[in-house]
Amino acid sequence: MKRILTLLLCCIVTANLATAQSKVFKEVNDEISSDMEAIIQDGALVGYLAFTQLEKVSEDSFNYKITIMDENLNDLGTVLFRNRQLKLQAVSFEQDVLCLAYLKSNIIGKQFKNKKAFDAVSGSQKNELVVDFLSLDGKVIKSNSIPVDIKVNFYPAFANEKSTVTGTLKKTLQLKNIPQKGFACYYADETANNLVLFGVEGKRLWKKKIPETLGYSLLTTTEDIYLLTKIKDDMLEGGHSIFSYGVQDSAAYIKYPLTDKDGNMLKVVGFGNDAITGKPYVAGAIIHPKKGNRFYKGKGLANGAYMGVYSINFNGRKKEDIKETFTYWSDGSKSPEISTHGKFADNGAFLNFDKVIRDYQGNTYFVGSSLERKPRWVSIGLSVVCLPLIIVSPYIMIASGTQKCRVKDAMIVKLNDKGVLSFDNTIDCNTSKYLRGAFPISYYDSKNFYPVSNSATQSNYIIVDDKKDIVIYNINKKKIARTIPHKEGNTRTSVYPAKEGHIMVSEYNKKEKYTRLSIESL
Amino acid sequence: MLRTTLKPYQPVGYGSLLILLFLFSTVCKTQAQQNSLYNYQQLSHLFYARQKDSIRKNWVCPVLYKEKETQKKYKEMWEERTDFITSSLEAKDFVHDKEVYNYIEQIILEITKANPTLIPTKPVLLLDRSASVNAYTIGGNIIAVNAGLVAFAGYREEIALVVAHELAHNILNHADNSMKERAEWFTSEEYKKSIISVLDSKYERLTRLKKVLEGFSFNRSKHNRYHESDADSLGIVLLKNSHIAYNPVYFLRLDSADIQYKQSLKQPIKNYFAGYNVPFEDTWIQKRSKGLSTKNYNFRDTTHLADSLKTHPECVERYNKTLSLSTTEGRELKIPANVQEQANKILIWNMFDNLNLTACLYRILLQKDKGNKDEWYDFMIYNIFSGLYYSDQQLNRFNVIAVKQKEYISKDYYELQNMLEQIPKESLEQYCKQLQNAPFWAAMNSDAKALKPLMNSINFETDISAKSKENAAKDYIANYPNSMYCEFAEHFKKK
Repeated sequence: MKRILTLLLCCIVTANLATAQSKVFKEVNDEISSDMEAIIQDGALVGYLAFTQLEKVSEDSFNYKITIMDENLNDLGTVLFRNRQLKLQAVSFEQDVLCLAYLKSNIIGKQFKNKKAFDAVSGSQKNELVVDFLSLDGKVIKSNSIPVDIKVNFYPAFANEKSTVTGTLKKTLQLKNIPQKGFACYYADETANNLVLFGVEGKRLWKKKIPETLGYSLLTTTEDIYLLTKIKDDMLEGGHSIFSYGVQDSAAYIKYPLTDKDGNMLKVVGFGNDAITGKPYVAGAIIHPKKGNRFYKGKGLANGAYMGVYSINFNGRKKEDIKETFTYWSDGSKSPEISTHGKFADNGAFLNFDKVIRDYQGNTYFVGSSLERKPRWVSIGLSVVCLPLIIVSPYIMIASGTQKCRVKDAMIVKLNDKGVLSFDNTIDCNTSKYLRGAFPISYYDSKNFYPVSNSATQSNYIIVDDKKDIVIYNINKKKIARTIPHKEGNTRTSVYPAKEGHIMVSEYNKKEKYTRLSIESL
Repeated sequence: MLRTTLKPYQPVGYGSLLILLFLFSTVCKTQAQQNSLYNYQQLSHLFYARQKDSIRKNWVCPVLYKEKETQKKYKEMWEERTDFITSSLEAKDFVHDKEVYNYIEQIILEITKANPTLIPTKPVLLLDRSASVNAYTIGGNIIAVNAGLVAFAGYREEIALVVAHELAHNILNHADNSMKERAEWFTSEEYKKSIISVLDSKYERLTRLKKVLEGFSFNRSKHNRYHESDADSLGIVLLKNSHIAYNPVYFLRLDSADIQYKQSLKQPIKNYFAGYNVPFEDTWIQKRSKGLSTKNYNFRDTTHLADSLKTHPECVERYNKTLSLSTTEGRELKIPANVQEQANKILIWNMFDNLNLTACLYRILLQKDKGNKDEWYDFMIYNIFSGLYYSDQQLNRFNVIAVKQKEYISKDYYELQNMLEQIPKESLEQYCKQLQNAPFWAAMNSDAKALKPLMNSINFETDISAKSKENAAKDYIANYPNSMYCEFAEHFKKK
């Protein structure tokens, strides 16, 4: 009996050590969390940054590690530091300086057992936006701290479980480099929308409150900072305005509501920097004032949701520097090539706008899925046949509708620098099934579009990530450069943005459980 | 305790050896262009097939510890080592070619014969096809010498020094002792306490765990500083007993082994391709990226060097320590050119087969700089561009280029890497097709010539199914079962 007991004890001790060892590795590993961010400069990916929270070092502080990688995913170096709880918001790069924006809090991320414990400390909460400037030898050359007003949430958990305090900025922070000057940072907390400018050395140059808006997008040029904003409006797609502020003096220069001469709202499909001039442009579709809000249904799009397309260049601060191009098909002037509802005769389809590409010759390309609409003859016929039965006919019409839609190839429409609109090409992709016209297009349109450009070769590509295949299309040569199946044997392939003129290809081998990353030239 | 059934030691006279070696090297020189480097059957998975099974069978872990836990840990490590050697043999990491293998074998024989007390049984030599300038001891009386060491070393005595150093590790039982020490440490009370203390601590768990592991690796790492110094000292004694010259300068030379890709080329990159009638644009070699790789960064060096002589204690320190033991005068023998060339070709082919294409091409250009006109290198240039074209189609071009950061390579290497990255697909296709008609093919063996249709099938066959590639590979293997290039064809044969 004694022997059995000793043996049992031995087993427990051995098991305990093994458990302790694996437990310590697991627990240490569980504490580690990592974020990967692309480092962007002038709209191009220049590297990658991994921000890792390593371990808790006191009640409030953590050890962190920043790993900086070049555009080929080679490690350039690491920076280790200690701070309170940080959440990385954005990264940018200019003049050999990395700018990193964090949300720092003494309460977000903390765990409490109950509301009472949370309430006891929530009054002394301190939330700030930390903007650090890191030189390429790993030194923090400047750190800025801006207090922010954040609504924190605490939802007590059941039983004795602890619950974590959450909270974020009201609007996602955006950080962009300003060529040769520094960095522009836009964020919104519970109190205000703010635009802050930093010099390359990290000095805060100015901070400005921006009118309350629903959404925004930030663009920078050497002289100005541009904001695409959306004020509250009934139109789901329209209601945008563009504001600009001088880098030097923070003064407001442009306030441009996005409407045409008749007051029709404009859908923004692309807002970016012109490939040649670097100046901002905005392009998209002119929304029909009555039919425009039904854009998300196939039937709605085919009924003439859009009246035409537009492109606006912001070449300077004065009114005459803003060059507008509006091209309408709703007036019948483009018929028979384009119907008054926007149907293109070349492929018999409507363009479901997704992306805009501005090439190196000043042409604007509108890219999206091609939507085909057809009458449901069977349903219509049955309804006609059943007309004498009075009740049956409406049921048939309600159940199956009179129209069916499907998404076929991707299509490209070109608006040249003189304002001439033309059908450019289709890109062979996967075709969906026919569905009721009243269904949202997103039910059957699985295409995602990513533009890729190469300034050295002045070429533009569009990557169509479809259900079965990834299609890489060369816009300038008007041909498919490559078709990559998503699934081949045990391998699942995905593509991600990479350095200029390249894509990152990720191949996951399900059988052998490994992922191969490769940065491939287009 | 450690037994293998590898070839037994057979003593051979030193004088007759030299004559044999001389005759052998002369014959090899004249046949270098006609003969393959080695047969497919000389690759380790076939050549050592019986020995591999024997190792599995006969390498039985001895019972050394009463404590079950320690014995279990020791057994785990023992089995890991057995797996390492058998899987390396299976993975064709080694080759039993005649020239290079015999050359190193003679050095081992010479040292063994001169030190019968210290080395009662001749160790088993394995020739590793790796380009790394290194040699290593596995335990079980096996030592491996990399082709990279033979290609890099200038003198026979340099190789002898590294071999003697590894033999000293063997004599001092360092590999086995290291396993024992690790098994004892991992099951020690001290280790258990430190692991539990990590678990008990509320804060800084990672730092504490790192300290525990650092404490372990400082004393018990593979390249323990004290082990290395002991091996240096005993290695020099072995050389002295064998009347092989020892020059401490070798340590300084070997210190530069990791910077071979920092060597510059004698000509601009463009010139190396001029003779092949292929297009070349200067823009290909210029870095177009705006990325961080082009910036002047200077972070703390966190790079980790692969296992090589560099991972050993500082070579300058070793030079100073052993300066008084120098025995150099007039006794240094140059490594025969054919041996060095063979070693170089072995590692170049291995790099190609492992799709390490930039480094492979750069080594070929360095050969061309030496005035080497051997057509085999032109043939390899064709293979490299074909491999690059294939990898591009497989969305794997980036990985086969294996982009190195500018601070670790020469300006020329950087340009070559840019070229392989930026050469357009159409031009790459032209390279493949143009090189197929180059005059060097006339000097190639039939098995090398037969790679051309295989490459064509892989890259340009209209039937893109894997079946046609597989059939072409099968045909090649059936027609040339002894060719070393079967190794390449095997990649396309369904397993």
